[in-house]
Amino acid sequence: MNAAPLTPPVSPNPPLPSAPGFWAGLRKRLAWMQEGEQLKEAQLFLLLAMIIGLFSGLSVVLFRVAIDWTKLLAFGSGLTSPWTRLLLVPTVGGLVVAYLVIRFFPRARGSGVNQTKAAVYIYDGYIPFNTVIGKFITCALAIGTGQSLGPEDPSLQMGAGIASALGRRLRFSREKVRLIAPVGAAAGLAAAFNAPISAVLFVIEEVIGNWNAGVLGAIVLSAVSSVIVSRWFLGDQALFRIPVYHLVHPAELLAYAALGAAGGISSLAFVKLIAYARPRLKALPRWTQYFQPALAGLIIGVIGLWFPQVMGAGYGYIDQAMHDQFTWQILAMLAMFKILSTSVSFVSGTPGGMFAPTLFIGAMLGAAVGGIEHHFFPWLSGGVGAYALVGMGTLFAGFLRVPLTSVFMVLEVSGNYSIILPVMISNTIAYLISRQYQQTSLFDLLSRQDGMDLPSMEERREEVSVHVEDAMREYQGTVLNIEDPLRWALGRAEASVEIFVIVEDDAGKWYGIRKDELHRLATPIRAGMTLRSLLPPEPLPHVHPDHVLEEALRRLGDLPLLPVVNRANFRKLEGVVGLQEILQAYRHAHQ
Amino acid sequence: MEPERQCARCGRKIPWGQEKCPFCPGHGGYFWSLRRDTFLLIILVLLIFMFVVTGFVVRIYRDVEQGYAEEWYTRGEEDLRAGRTAAALADFRAALSYSHDNQQYQLRLAQALMAPGNPPASGAEARTYLLNLLDREPGNATVNLELARLAARDQDVPDAQRFYHGAIYGQWDDDPVARRRAARLELVEFLLDAGHKDSARAELIALAADLPPDPVLQTKVGTLLMQVKGCDDALKLFRQALLEEPNYPAALAGSGECHFQNGNYAQAARYLARAVQQDPQLTEAAAMLDKAQAVLNLDPFSRHLGNMERARRAAGDFTAALTRLQSCAAQRGIDLKAAGIDPLQTLSLQAAALEPRAQPQYLSRDSELLSQVMDVVFEIEQTTAHACGEPQGEDEALWLLAREQGGTHP
Repeated sequence: MNAAPLTPPVSPNPPLPSAPGFWAGLRKRLAWMQEGEQLKEAQLFLLLAMIIGLFSGLSVVLFRVAIDWTKLLAFGSGLTSPWTRLLLVPTVGGLVVAYLVIRFFPRARGSGVNQTKAAVYIYDGYIPFNTVIGKFITCALAIGTGQSLGPEDPSLQMGAGIASALGRRLRFSREKVRLIAPVGAAAGLAAAFNAPISAVLFVIEEVIGNWNAGVLGAIVLSAVSSVIVSRWFLGDQALFRIPVYHLVHPAELLAYAALGAAGGISSLAFVKLIAYARPRLKALPRWTQYFQPALAGLIIGVIGLWFPQVMGAGYGYIDQAMHDQFTWQILAMLAMFKILSTSVSFVSGTPGGMFAPTLFIGAMLGAAVGGIEHHFFPWLSGGVGAYALVGMGTLFAGFLRVPLTSVFMVLEVSGNYSIILPVMISNTIAYLISRQYQQTSLFDLLSRQDGMDLPSMEERREEVSVHVEDAMREYQGTVLNIEDPLRWALGRAEASVEIFVIVEDDAGKWYGIRKDELHRLATPIRAGMTLRSLLPPEPLPHVHPDHVLEEALRRLGDLPLLPVVNRANFRKLEGVVGLQEILQAYRHAHQ
Repeated sequence: MEPERQCARCGRKIPWGQEKCPFCPGHGGYFWSLRRDTFLLIILVLLIFMFVVTGFVVRIYRDVEQGYAEEWYTRGEEDLRAGRTAAALADFRAALSYSHDNQQYQLRLAQALMAPGNPPASGAEARTYLLNLLDREPGNATVNLELARLAARDQDVPDAQRFYHGAIYGQWDDDPVARRRAARLELVEFLLDAGHKDSARAELIALAADLPPDPVLQTKVGTLLMQVKGCDDALKLFRQALLEEPNYPAALAGSGECHFQNGNYAQAARYLARAVQQDPQLTEAAAMLDKAQAVLNLDPFSRHLGNMERARRAAGDFTAALTRLQSCAAQRGIDLKAAGIDPLQTLSLQAAALEPRAQPQYLSRDSELLSQVMDVVFEIEQTTAHACGEPQGEDEALWLLAREQGGTHP
């Protein structure tokens, strides 16, 4: 007897879901996710971070192709171009860029870092999408036609703009939309640099200024996504071929210290030049803004007749400097002319970034110092490539004033952790010199010149925290025990000048009661009772001497005093702190 | 900056340049009317679309770049063939700027940088490219060979040996056996130039053990072996070469030289004569042939000589030796007539004692006397060679004869 089949017959070609049904299902699924059954807003935020990373990565890939293609069309395919092209292309390019910026994309001008910060701190995360389009077109034109600027800063802003647009369209809360711009900024920068760690650190160090775990995850996710996309399309090779590094002799560290000093001085010169020229050019009549980028282009073209390396971002030449292809004299001149040409490009209002020029100047300067050392002390030095690499970080620390990013950038780009000692020495010296002689960092300077007072991350990092130990005073009264009888306690309180009576128990918990309240409670019926029966069951919040005053203030609430107790021995009262002491400590700290 | 305005509806600041609040849904147009899930869906579709567009654009641009890279590479090869090294360098660099990772371009650029006439810094740049290539492919024999050549140029013997060995044991794309052999041969030549005969000998032994029946190669290796290891093994190779090609001039010359060094002047003269006959351009072989024939003509101990001829040769040799002694003494300012302890003076005394009897008529009758005369002749030639430098012409022949008789060979 044939048994009936237990399962229904399966068709060899099951019908595919019809398109409308499939989309409807997907939509239903998304709706289910976003309605909170599974995907909360925080999770959606992380998903969005990944999407932002993907979009930013794609934009940066297209942006880089646009720059390279423009350069190819403008200057031809050879390594050298006729002098007419060298002069005409940046000049005409400058004119076109100026026209586009003034007429169509006014927000494309200026630093992308500051505009992203402005979005975070002033405009609730709002960056208009036409800024993204403007940055893309004008920067590709400017850099492709030889202006001495880089693609990283615009990439950062494009990422931030994409993030802002997506965040707003998805109707995230105001707080989330405000945080989304840095997420996109990290993605853009990571794709442009092909270095996710440096991008994340930069955004934390310069844009948001704190390690907020909520946004940190999103930033990392977006940076990684964008780098994956960038590597997918452009390959996973680093921006430069990294030379082998090994410390030949400990005395070589002195040369790295000298590089730090040279980097610090060069950074100062660079910042001072921009700080001096930018407001003066901005103050010129508006019509001159149409011609300023063209004039900058002409100047760069003239420099390019002798040093074509200064034109554009110059990554190829950084690679050559790392591999010993220039004499130290040429390298020093390249560093000097790059400072000049980048300053001219930037102050003229041409859109573009400062990262690549900073790396270029640092690499040339580093290789020049390495070359000099190799010339005079050949037994002390290795190849100049390591100096060029360290030099890049040095200028990053000195000029952009992002010390943490500068160290990690070199480590990430080189993939060689043994280079950390020279990097730290050189970067620290450059940073300190720059900090000493130029109080305001470049980004803060630019934002103040633009009439905005954005929070300075550098100042925030260097803010001196006031601690409880700076404010606390000795407790003038007698500390009572919770088992003390009310009558006895009242007598001790009377003898004290304090208006607030501090009470301890044997478990190291602290209680308190106002003296007048104690009086009110001390009726004859309660005279024999202990303090425990009268005091509220909840102990007082306490602080430790190393707590910041903000924390003390938060815990103080309406209380007149807070006990300050020892961290190792909770029963030991170090002192007390009240509102008056806190205010006094703040006053002293800011005098 | 224009004054800040606040949105009446949501209370947020309206950004600069915006007329309406961009945060309020009512002002956002069509997209604001969409639900979040719909918008997410649109984003996903847009993402896929952008992936496609980006891939398409990147592909087109890559093709353009590849076209330029190939164009510049071809130009570079042409320039290199035409001897325009500087132009070739620029071309290869341009090619590499469009195809950064192309190993062939990097190798050709490195090779162009190593071409003679480039500044010394070019070597460093070439080394960088080659080391990068080696990082990616440590077994690449071509890269190892170029690095070995660079190290050899810098007289860096350990690195040169290391990279030559890399080339010998590395991977070759075509004809690996011949290329490995050529690399080892190059290493031997470098080691010999650098004065590392022991290392060269070891390489040559390995090389000689595995030679194909190629007379040119056998002769070359034989010649090198002769320099570092003496003639026994070299002669075998020359013989093998002559079996392959009996009239190969270099092998004939090599054999002749080996026989010459072994003091076998008759054989040497035969081979050398054939070599010069085959290739009159072999000037060294011709000079050696003259020496060998001079030795043969002056040797009184040759077989098949009659007593008279033997005596006549010995008398002639004695006269020549005396002349050499006198010229050497004059060169050094030594008075041979005065008594003294200088070896030349001692020899002069011995020669003076023999001179009256060193005549063919006495020598033909007294073989003992002939031996004494020739001993003095050899002594004079060896002492004067030591005191006054290497002899020439007849004296050189006598000196060679003296060394042969004394059991030592030059």
